[in-house]
Amino acid sequence: MPRPERRFVTFSIDGREVSAPEGVMLVDGAKYGDVEIPVFCYEPKLGAPVGACRMCLVEVEGIPKLQTACSTPVKDGMVVHTQTDRVREAQNSVIEFLLVNHPLDCPVCDKGGECPLQDITFGWGRGISRMVEPKRHFKKPLELSPLIAIDRERCILCYRCVRFSQEVSEDYQLVLNERGASTYVGTFDGHPYVAPFSGNIIELCPVGALTSRAYRFRARPWDIEGAGSVCTHCPAQCNVEFTVRDERVLRVLARDNEGVDDGWLCDKGRFAYQAIHSEERITEPLVRDSESGELVPATWEYALDVAAAALQAGGSKTAALAGGTTTNEEGFLLQRVVREALKSPHVDSRAGLPQVDLGLQQALAAPGLQATIPDLEFAHTVLVLGTDPIDDVASLDLRIRKGVRRNGVKLAVATSRPSALDPNAKLWLRYAPGGEHAFVAALEAAVTGSGDLSALCDAADADPKALEALAALLKDGGEDVVILWSQRLGAAPLPALLNVAAALRLEGRDGAGLIEVPVGGNGRGLREAGVQSNGGPGLSAPKAPGKPAREIAAALASGDLSTLWLLHADPVRDYADRRLWERAAANADALVAHATLLNDTLREHATVVFPAESYAEKEGTIVNLDGRVQRLRVAIGRPGAVRAEWQVIADLSKRLGLDLGVLTGPMATRQLVEAVPFYAGLTLKEIGGRGVRWQEREAASAAPAAPAGPVESGEPLPAPRPNGALRLGTYRPIWAAPEVEVSPALKFLAAKQQAELSPVDAERLGVDNGAKVSVTAGDATVLAKVFVRGNVPAGTVFLAEATAEQSATELLGEAPQLVSVEPYGQRPPVPLEGLARGARPSDDEVNS
Amino acid sequence: MAWNPGEDVVAVQRAPKPGGAGGAYRAFGETLRGLKTTFGRMLERPVVYQYPEEKVPVYPRFRGRHKLHKFADTGLEKCVGCSLCAAACPADCIRVVAAENTPEHRVSAGERYAAVYEINLSRCIFCGYCEVACPFDAITMGHDYEMSDYNRTDLIFTKEMLLAEPLERTPLRTEDE
Ligand code: SF4
Ligand code: SF4
Ligand code: SF4
Ligand code: FES
Repeated sequence: MPRPERRFVTFSIDGREVSAPEGVMLVDGAKYGDVEIPVFCYEPKLGAPVGACRMCLVEVEGIPKLQTACSTPVKDGMVVHTQTDRVREAQNSVIEFLLVNHPLDCPVCDKGGECPLQDITFGWGRGISRMVEPKRHFKKPLELSPLIAIDRERCILCYRCVRFSQEVSEDYQLVLNERGASTYVGTFDGHPYVAPFSGNIIELCPVGALTSRAYRFRARPWDIEGAGSVCTHCPAQCNVEFTVRDERVLRVLARDNEGVDDGWLCDKGRFAYQAIHSEERITEPLVRDSESGELVPATWEYALDVAAAALQAGGSKTAALAGGTTTNEEGFLLQRVVREALKSPHVDSRAGLPQVDLGLQQALAAPGLQATIPDLEFAHTVLVLGTDPIDDVASLDLRIRKGVRRNGVKLAVATSRPSALDPNAKLWLRYAPGGEHAFVAALEAAVTGSGDLSALCDAADADPKALEALAALLKDGGEDVVILWSQRLGAAPLPALLNVAAALRLEGRDGAGLIEVPVGGNGRGLREAGVQSNGGPGLSAPKAPGKPAREIAAALASGDLSTLWLLHADPVRDYADRRLWERAAANADALVAHATLLNDTLREHATVVFPAESYAEKEGTIVNLDGRVQRLRVAIGRPGAVRAEWQVIADLSKRLGLDLGVLTGPMATRQLVEAVPFYAGLTLKEIGGRGVRWQEREAASAAPAAPAGPVESGEPLPAPRPNGALRLGTYRPIWAAPEVEVSPALKFLAAKQQAELSPVDAERLGVDNGAKVSVTAGDATVLAKVFVRGNVPAGTVFLAEATAEQSATELLGEAPQLVSVEPYGQRPPVPLEGLARGARPSDDEVNS
Repeated sequence: MAWNPGEDVVAVQRAPKPGGAGGAYRAFGETLRGLKTTFGRMLERPVVYQYPEEKVPVYPRFRGRHKLHKFADTGLEKCVGCSLCAAACPADCIRVVAAENTPEHRVSAGERYAAVYEINLSRCIFCGYCEVACPFDAITMGHDYEMSDYNRTDLIFTKEMLLAEPLERTPLRTEDE
C-alpha cells in the first residue's frame, strides 16, 4: 500500500486564503492558516472522527447549518467562517452544555492546569454559568483499574477512551453504558480495565475523568518540568517525556514520534519509571567483605580497585555480557576494555541466543533490506515471524493493528505460540517450537517453488496448505512486503529468511524489507557497537572471535573462564538454561556487575556491584529496530553515589592500564561514531529529539557489503515429536521484568508462571484452568498454573521465561525440548471466567 | 465673518503677573503653610512607640503573615492542596505537595489535601496574590508582622505553623484611628 499522495487545495477561512492538503479535516486545514478551532473529541491518532462533542462547529458558506470542522474535509474553494456571531453563539452554548453536569472541581482535579476543558472554556466559553440546578452525581473517585482512576462526573462523553479501547488497542473492554444523561464510561460488567496499553486513555481524556493513580495528586503543571528521552524497557524504544518534580520522575508521557511509537506507550513504559525511585535501588558501590562474606557498602575508590584487581586477575579469561538497557557508548567502551585491556575476545549482548554468522548479519543489516517502522502501516503485506509484538516489542502491536484496520494491510502471523494478532490476521500459521528452521525453509520452498515443501512442513509440524497460502499472499498480495522477524528465531533459519527476502525482491524497495526484533531494549545498537562475540564495532570482524554467551556459561562452569563482568545483564534470570548460569555464577572466581537492583545472583556471588544509572539518568545513544539512532537524555540527577557508567568503565580501564580517552559522555559518543563506519559524522545534534535512521544518511554506504547470491540454508532438524510428552515453547511476557516487580503500581501485573495448554492436552491430563501442574524436563521441574487456551496446538505447552519464580529458563537446556506435564497436588476449584482475565485479553476471549 | 464658538468655549485661568507683595506671598506662602505643620508638631508630645512593649495597630486589610484556616464546625482544613497559590505567587515561595484523603485519614473536605504546605517568608513580598488565588479562602494574610528570627530556615513556615493561632494578636486600628 503506497502512502497516499497529498495534493494541496486552496480554501478561505476567516477571509484568509489557505492552502492545505486535500482531504484533511477543516480543524487541521485551519492550522495552515493559523486559525485555531477548539476540539474535544477529535484526535487523529484514533482514526476517523466521530463528531461527538460539537465543539468544533464552524460556518461553511453554502451549507445552511453549522458544520463540525473535525469531520468536514477541506475542499477547493470552500469558504469557512469561525468568527461569526452564529459560530460564537454555538461555541458558547456547547461549552455551557458540557459544563451543565461538570462538577467544576478544578482545584482537586489532577488535570487542572493542563486541561483542554479549562482552556477552551476560558477561550471560547461565555464566562458565566446560568446553571443553578443540581448536577448529576456519581460515586467518586473510583478505580477503573489499579492504574487508572475514573471520575464519571467530570466526563464529557467525548468517546476518546472508548474509541482507543475499541479501535486502537482493540481490547474491546471499555464501553459507554446507559444512554442519554446517564451515560457513563466503564467496562460492560464492571471488571477492572486491565490491558497492556490502558494507560494511554489517561493522556487521551480531554478532562480529568481519567487520571493516573500513580500520579494522583503528585504535582501541578507549574510544579514540574518535562524532560524528553527514550524508553529502554523494550526494543520499541518509544519516545517519552518524563515529568520531573524535585529530581524525581513522577510520570511518563508519550512524545509522539511518527517514526517510532506513533504516540502510544505501553503500561510498562508508562508506569515502570517507579523502579527508578525504588527503595531497593543500589545507590552506592558494594564490595564483598572477605570476613563476613556479605556485600557491604564501600567507597568508589575501593570498589574500583577491587574490581580492577579482579578483572586483571581474570585477564583473557574474563567474559563480559551487556544487557538490553546498555547504551551504545557503554557497550562500545565495555568491548574496548575487554578486548584491548584484558585481551579477552569474550563479549556478548545477545541474551544467550545462538551466534549468527557475521556475513549473515551483514546481509540482514544491509540498508536496502531494512524496512522502517512506519512501513508496517503502509505495506501491502506484513508477515510477523516468530514473535508476538505485544510481548517482545509492545508498541509495534498497535502499529500493526493500525495498518490492518485503517490501511487494509494484509497481515500474516507465523508463530509457534498463538499470537494476540491472530484475530487481525488474514492468515495465521503455527509451527512447532523447535521447528523454526524447518518452517522458514518451508516458506523458502513455498516462495521459490523449489525444495521439498511437504517434508519441510512435516519437520516443522506446519500445515503445507497454509504455507502455500502464505507464499501466495506474499508473492501476489502486492510488492511491499514487510517481514517482522524475531532474533529469537535463532541463527539457523536466517539464510532461508534471506532467500525468502531475495525471492520476494525486497532489497532496495522503499516500503518493503525486513525488521528484526532484537531481544533487549538496545539489542541492535549493542551489536552495531561491537558487543558480540563474533563482531566488532560496525559489524566488522573482530581480531579474535570469542565465545557467545552460552559457551561463556559453560566455560565459566567448567573453569575455562574465570571472571564475569555484567553490564546491566542478568543472565541467570533472562538467558536460557538457568541452572547452567547458576553454576557459572557460582563457579566464577570473580563477578563484577553494574546493576540498579540487587538480585539473588549478585547477592550470593558478586565480588563488586557498581550502582548503575537508570534510564532517566543516562546520556547516550541507542538504536531502534529499524536503525534509528536515538538519544537518551538526562532527566534527573543520579541518586546517592551513583556515577555515570562511561565514567566507571573509563576509571576501571585506567586501572587496567588502558586510557580510553573519555572524559565526558559525548566523547564516548564521538569514539563510537568514529569506530562505526556507517555512523560516520553522526552528531548528538543531528540525532536530536527525533533520532535519525543511519540507513538514510550518506554514511550508510559504508555499511559492510554482504556476500552476494543465495545463501545455503542447510538441512533443518525436525521439531521434536511429542510422543506422549509435550513440546516446550517459551516466550517472555511483557510483565516479566524486575522493574515491573519493584514498581508499586505495576506489581499486580508481574508475570506468574502459567502453562498454556491446548484443551486436548488439558483434558488428557485431567486438569482445568487454574490447576497446578509440574512441568519436568530431565531433573528440572517448574510449577505452573494451567491456562487452557483454545488455539494452542495440541502437543505443546507454553511457559513464560524470566518470571521471578519458576521461570521456564530452568527447563531450557540445549533447545529443542520435550517436557512432561503432571497435575500437581490438589486442584483448586477455580471457575473458568475471571482467571483468563490476566494482563491481556487472550484471543479466545476475543474470539468468543 | 467671525466664527461663534458657542458653548464650547473654555475659559483658561491664567496665573497672576509676578512681582509685588502678592508675588512674595505666593513664593513663600506655601512654605510657611508647611512650616506651620512642622512647628505645630514640635509642640505635640513625641509619638515614639515603645516597641515591642507597645505595638502599632494595623488596618484591618493590612497584609501580614499568612494564616491557613480550618472549618469551624468540622475542624477540617480548608486547603485542598490545589497549588493555585503557588502558581500565583510572584516570589515563588510557596511549596505544596498534595496527597489523597482516605476515610481513615481525612484532613480536608475535598479529595486531596496539602501534605506539605510551606511558605518561605524570607522570600515573600506580602503581595497577597496567594490569598486572591485561593478558591477556598483557605489562606489569608493575617495581621502579624513580627516574624524576625535568627535563622533563615526558621522563616520557612510549615502547615502546622500557619494553621496555629499567632501567639500574640496584633492590635487593630479602630474605626477612626
Ligand atoms: S472519560 Fe474522558 S476520554 Fe473518556 S469519554 Fe469521558 S471525557 Fe472522553
Ligand atoms: S513499548 Fe517498549 S519502548 Fe514503548 S513504552 Fe512500552 S516498554 Fe517502553
Ligand atoms: S503574599 Fe505574595 S509573595 Fe507572599 S506568599 Fe503570597 S503570593 Fe507569594
Ligand atoms: S471535535 Fe468536532 S465534534 Fe468533537
